[in-house]
Amino acid sequence: MARRELTVGVGAGDLATADMVLNIGPQHPATHGVLRLRVTLDGERIMAADPIVGYMHRGAEKLFEVRDYRQILVLANRHDWLSAFSNEIGLALAVERMLGMDVPERATWARTLLTELNRVLNHLMFLGSYPLELGAITPIFYAFREREELQAVMEEISGGRMHYMFNRVGGLREDIPAGWLVRVTAAIDAVRRRMPDLESLLVGNEIVHARTRGVGVLTPEVIHAYGVSGPIARASGVDVDLRRDQPYLAYAELFAPGGAGRVVTRTEGDCLARLEVLLEQVQVSLDLAQACVERLSAMPGGPINVKLPKVVKVPEGDDYVATENPLGLNGYYLVSRGEKTPWRLKLRSASFNNVAVLAEVLPGTLLADMVAILGSMFFVVGDIDK
Amino acid sequence: MSRPDQHKHGLVPGLVKGMATTARTMTSHAHTQEYPDVKPELPPRSRGVIALLAENCTSCMLCARECPDWCIYIDSHKETIPAGPEGGRDRQQNVLDRFAIDFSLCMYCGICIEVCPFDALFWSPEFEYAETDIRDMLHEKDRLGEWMATVPPPPATDPGAQ
Repeated sequence: MARRELTVGVGAGDLATADMVLNIGPQHPATHGVLRLRVTLDGERIMAADPIVGYMHRGAEKLFEVRDYRQILVLANRHDWLSAFSNEIGLALAVERMLGMDVPERATWARTLLTELNRVLNHLMFLGSYPLELGAITPIFYAFREREELQAVMEEISGGRMHYMFNRVGGLREDIPAGWLVRVTAAIDAVRRRMPDLESLLVGNEIVHARTRGVGVLTPEVIHAYGVSGPIARASGVDVDLRRDQPYLAYAELFAPGGAGRVVTRTEGDCLARLEVLLEQVQVSLDLAQACVERLSAMPGGPINVKLPKVVKVPEGDDYVATENPLGLNGYYLVSRGEKTPWRLKLRSASFNNVAVLAEVLPGTLLADMVAILGSMFFVVGDIDK
Repeated sequence: MSRPDQHKHGLVPGLVKGMATTARTMTSHAHTQEYPDVKPELPPRSRGVIALLAENCTSCMLCARECPDWCIYIDSHKETIPAGPEGGRDRQQNVLDRFAIDFSLCMYCGICIEVCPFDALFWSPEFEYAETDIRDMLHEKDRLGEWMATVPPPPATDPGAQ
């Protein structure tokens, strides 16, 4: 290719500079899928960044409208494929609330347990993949070893390793297998015992510190302006967690004074703080899961779901249910006209807002920090594009 | 967790610490499963492949209608069973001609198995049926029937179950 000189600026003979537009993606490995970033560079410094979304748009909201409430769960657990169980929960809660259905206590505690295990699985994925993006290969092996431990118990109860399909309107699909709670305790203990290995690789690592400390700082004002939520918001000192602030499932009891739950926050707002929040949330979620196991073991027997009529029709009206998903607030706005399918089911996913903030945080940083910042937003592209 | 500012900085302490971890890990057993030499132990509920017990199927089409992406194909015809020697009326019966599941479309949700009122469909944990041609992912009645031999009995449930 012929070399083309770019001469921009006033006066001849000066060092000519021109902004360069660089496309990161949509096939860049650091973007977890097909996110595209259009970055304008002045030398090594980013002048403007523009996340371009939609490469993985599957029209989930439109597909919801032609499926009944059991079929929707199949699709609803797929937009954020790392938090499938939490996605199912939000929808099941919305439908149950509109139906005015009481879910058995045993189902609620089992759901809480599975949601927290799902949160640990999700966080472990990012604790493995984020260092990978920074150039460290080892942590992902440790993270996946722990994931395997937990996925084994998830598979035993639900039959799935990613798309659990274990929620039903009114409870869970099947009852807990015999001895499963004991195996969950063993898995939790094993993960807790080995977590220091992973922790020391990450927060005890000078290179990770050098790459992440003070990089990509998000202020609480930016968090509020962009609707950023979840661990990223809490790393900037925005103390919001729906499990405590708007309790659903059994969280009211778990986050009550003396309960196992606590909200992890940091004030620095940089990439390291986000990573630390994730690490500590794993510990909290393991505590919560253990509390659920103890509660379930001590509980008198009872049903795990409600017998449903052949056709589930949600009464006319609308409702919005938001849950604290591993990556942030996940909400379903359900509008029903009394049919067996929703008239409209709007999905508010966490990653969309969490990635939108990149346009604010990237300008002014160096290109070399771009991947560190991008990775620390902990997003799933399916959750952005829906 | 406080910011580990108190950590010693510099190349040498970090390197020594790293080498110590390496030495420790080197002596411990690897966590990797040696698939395919060692087969994984899968729980009975594992959703690997769908098996069909054709005798139980009445061609009621419930599974095909409830499938979220319509990947079940059923053809049937009606046959008349003549009345017996002691009288009565002729009876009509559905005869299953074709039952096929396209596993290249299937989302492994298990709704078909759940809605089947006659227990004709079952989950099997078998998963080794990858194909080089996508058309071979369409399993016809006899192939679905072969999976029946691999269906495990359901696990016992927790004493608290009702």
